[in-house]
Amino acid sequence: MTLDKLDITWLTLIVITMANALVAETAEPHLLITAIICFSIAYKGRRIIDNFMELAHANETIKKLMRAYFYIFPALIFLTDAFSTQLAAITTL
Amino acid sequence: MTVSQATNERLVSQAEDVFYLNGSGNVTSEPETIKKIPGNKAVWVGIFAELSEFAVFFIAYFIAKAHNPIEFEQGPLALNTLAGTLNTFALITSSYFVAKALAAIRVDDPQKSIRCLSYAVSCGALYLLIKFWEYHWNVDHGIHADTNSFFSMYYYMTFNHLIHVSWASLSLLWAISQIKVGNYNKERHVGLTAIACYWHMVDLAWVIIFPLLYVLR
Repeated sequence: MTLDKLDITWLTLIVITMANALVAETAEPHLLITAIICFSIAYKGRRIIDNFMELAHANETIKKLMRAYFYIFPALIFLTDAFSTQLAAITTL
Repeated sequence: MTVSQATNERLVSQAEDVFYLNGSGNVTSEPETIKKIPGNKAVWVGIFAELSEFAVFFIAYFIAKAHNPIEFEQGPLALNTLAGTLNTFALITSSYFVAKALAAIRVDDPQKSIRCLSYAVSCGALYLLIKFWEYHWNVDHGIHADTNSFFSMYYYMTFNHLIHVSWASLSLLWAISQIKVGNYNKERHVGLTAIACYWHMVDLAWVIIFPLLYVLR
């Protein structure tokens, strides 16, 4: 039995999800943990966008917008965790 | 021959050497996604509108977390991680089957495509069942939408996502019916491609929601 690109993508996503669940159950909050989780979000998003949605070779605008979403939000998750005090200060009415 | 046509032919020629469509073989007759909009423009307007909506949720979450750090640190510990993880498995697996269904219709195998879409719908139904169980579990453990700001965000995001899974599942059932009557086939399946893209978007939204609510503290 040979695995094709879709099979490998599915297996990769499942393994990363299991790792995330393990982190949820065991790891204490830390900025490094946040960074790892953010990287895993970006990686999972990229795999789905390129391999399931098939945007790797599709229209450039759509591909770039979709990929950007999964660069921007993981980065925002990390930044809002790292600078939560400052964010609270600038969003206080 | 125009410059544009020549460029397109060159791209297709290059792609024949390196691009494998869904792992189903080399694309020589139907490089349908190369430099093109998968599905149709309308579905992409919908997809970007939905992603913008989820973006607003995420930004609201960031601000709420910054103002209520203790609630957002303790909140994920109170949730049922198993339910969140099983839901993630269900959505990833459904996306996998939707991609398989699209690959099958391209190689003129409508029966396999219907089978894969049926598995995908089953995964969508499983997601809804797990969510139903999770919400009951929450109530049994005293978790309500007004418990604190973390759980308000949790219900706000997950219920909204649940609604998206519900109607996206209905669209998969529609795709099955269209394959059965022969409206989607090897030559014509733009509608199925559009539905597949929408389904993957629903999966993508969960890829961010799951760690935000169940993992990160």
